[in-house]
Amino acid sequence: MASLFHRSKQRRAERAPVTANGNINLVPLVDTLTSIVFFSLLTYQGETMMALTSFDLSLPPVVVTTPQQASQVKSEKDVLNLLLAVRVSNNELDVEHSGNGGFRQAIKGLDAPALGELQTLMTQIRAQYPQNKDVLVIPSDDVAYDNIIHVLERLRLAGYTGISLGTRARGGPASSGPAR
Amino acid sequence: MRAARRAAQFAKFRITELNLVPLVDTLVSIVFFALTTATVGELSPVVPGVRLPEAHVGAAALQQLTLGVGPQVTLGGRPIMSTLDAARAPSNDATQPLLIPPLYAAMRVAADSIRQANKVAAGQPLDVPLAIQGDKSMRYDLLARMMQTARLAGFRNLSLQVSKQEGSVDSTAAATGAR
Repeated sequence: MASLFHRSKQRRAERAPVTANGNINLVPLVDTLTSIVFFSLLTYQGETMMALTSFDLSLPPVVVTTPQQASQVKSEKDVLNLLLAVRVSNNELDVEHSGNGGFRQAIKGLDAPALGELQTLMTQIRAQYPQNKDVLVIPSDDVAYDNIIHVLERLRLAGYTGISLGTRARGGPASSGPAR
Repeated sequence: MRAARRAAQFAKFRITELNLVPLVDTLVSIVFFALTTATVGELSPVVPGVRLPEAHVGAAALQQLTLGVGPQVTLGGRPIMSTLDAARAPSNDATQPLLIPPLYAAMRVAADSIRQANKVAAGQPLDVPLAIQGDKSMRYDLLARMMQTARLAGFRNLSLQVSKQEGSVDSTAAATGAR
């Protein structure tokens, strides 16, 4: 059994201020930080998550053909003012639009220089028709997904936000889904 | 006399200093995990077995219901069918030649449960986005079938999730051209 002297010494030590002798006890803090680092390393997936980016797809613009449909249009941005399309095949990019009685330009290849040329051309069209932010991309069936993403990336860089993906009709109604 | 002795006894246990170190430790832990889960927790993980294409631009990929297209087609991490079977699967609807019936069935179940949770009427399109993580070698005809199937199941907001590449497009293109 501890003597009265030892017990009172122990109590004094317990009641000593945490800043006694000008020191802070950092041991609990180090313990906590060690636990955090350990479990962070054990469960960390942030790098693979941070490494993802997305191209959001939205519905394609609506072509107004009847007065009834025109009356349903609520704002100017719902109106399709320029029909702009990029056809993608494995050896060529075709840019077409309906402005000035029609425009068509083919770009040979699907490599980096061709994609750079596409970006330049699309930037020019964007500057020429600033009210239009929509473009329809129509890849051929055999085009790899990787190449489609590169085309979408260039269109995004050219300033287009409403990018739709279309496909050719196959004996039924044509389908389309967009990319932004 | 007795009362004075009692008061002196209690005075020994009076708290004169408050130890704040455990409080600081706990708050450090809370702040750390709060910041980590706020930023990383909402970001989307990569579907295993999928080699994603790379892009320099695009929005941050948030966690969504994900359709993975690698060796297997997965929806929300659950395997649905092999990709080969999905590419070969004929449509059972003459008016929708792009439909993939087994995938459509799985998507309808997912869409219906989301509708129920969000109190959306049956048959109404969903605002909840569907993310697609496809292998870079996938052909577009398969992607088009997946997108059309998703659209018919009620998902009208689709997003293509790809790997983010650092640097500018031009610098990467120049490096590729130099090789």
